[in-house]
Amino acid sequence: MAPDQPVRLENLNPACCTAWLHEQDLCLTCAMCASACPVAGVDDFDPRKMVRMVSLGMVDQVVRSRWPWICTMCGKCEQVCPMGVGIADITRRIRSLRDDNRVPGILHKGLAAALETGNNLSLPKEDFIFILEDVAEEIAEEPGFEGFGVPIDKTGARLLTTIHNKLVNTHTEDLKPWWKIFHAAGEDWTVASDNWEGTSWGYFTGDDEAMKIMAGRIVENMRRLEVDTLLWPE
Amino acid sequence: MTVFDLIIDYIKSGRIRLDRRRFNVRATYHDPCNYGRRAQKRFGHGYFEEPRWIMDQCLDDWIDLHPNRLHQICCGGGGGALATGYDEERIFHGRRKMDQIRATGAQMLILPCHSCHGQLNGIKTTYEMEDLTVKYLWELVADCLVR
Repeated sequence: MAPDQPVRLENLNPACCTAWLHEQDLCLTCAMCASACPVAGVDDFDPRKMVRMVSLGMVDQVVRSRWPWICTMCGKCEQVCPMGVGIADITRRIRSLRDDNRVPGILHKGLAAALETGNNLSLPKEDFIFILEDVAEEIAEEPGFEGFGVPIDKTGARLLTTIHNKLVNTHTEDLKPWWKIFHAAGEDWTVASDNWEGTSWGYFTGDDEAMKIMAGRIVENMRRLEVDTLLWPE
Repeated sequence: MTVFDLIIDYIKSGRIRLDRRRFNVRATYHDPCNYGRRAQKRFGHGYFEEPRWIMDQCLDDWIDLHPNRLHQICCGGGGGALATGYDEERIFHGRRKMDQIRATGAQMLILPCHSCHGQLNGIKTTYEMEDLTVKYLWELVADCLVR
């Protein structure tokens, strides 16, 4: 949108988004949201501007802008909004309207990999198991953790935990704290060898269907392994 | 089950014991947006007091950031920002969080979120705070285990 081009109201379609349940049409333009926002002004954008553009029917322009991806949906804006406009939810809704191949960075690639293979890295099952067992052996060498092992696919355990993909990629050390706590507590726990991914990037791309699939797989793991408690630290 | 409820259950039932003297440094705690403010709005309960109770079991000296709880400032790495490639904007986003942390004089920052950990550990050098230790809440608990 060229800043020097006047926008003519009669060319807009303010009714386009009245079905959204985010109350954007209640905006009083007070700018409390913009004052609270840590990235107001970046890209010459702010939450009030986004809300007003949606309300006026300028959705395509907002969808094309980078700002909804720089916003972290932290919710400072809606925390102070006197009219209860769901501003962070509007950001997410806007993100959902981007074409998949124009989603910035690795967000869509990671999600597509997760939907196809069960995890964001497309990490094969054998490699996943190898990494977990390798880290477990390191823990077993520490005093107080002799005999430690990682219970993979244990049927009937009390607790199933998911795994953040970075913990089997660049941050394997960070697998250890929870496992040590489980050991100390005498917890009866397990990890699934398929669909173990704890992140759900549909949350970031505004893809509810993908989130439903990811969550459904975790529930299916609980059924398959007859586990009734889930720890999902992501 | 949340990470907080599980750890609190282990402590209160005596399944784990913690030593509060492991860390002889001042610490502070960061409220992630999704466990706090957003959970409060979505589910009617923000996890504000639970992590603070756990902090009390692990540390003698820790102080809150200001502002905190519902009015906490975002780390700048959430909502997928670590994976968009807009790194310059993401690092700028974290400037107020780093100011908050610096103002406490804390040498150790505790938080319970993978995104916040990646962001704040990653940008601390840019803000000349490379000596700040950034630790997961469950990592703090594991470090304080009495065996």
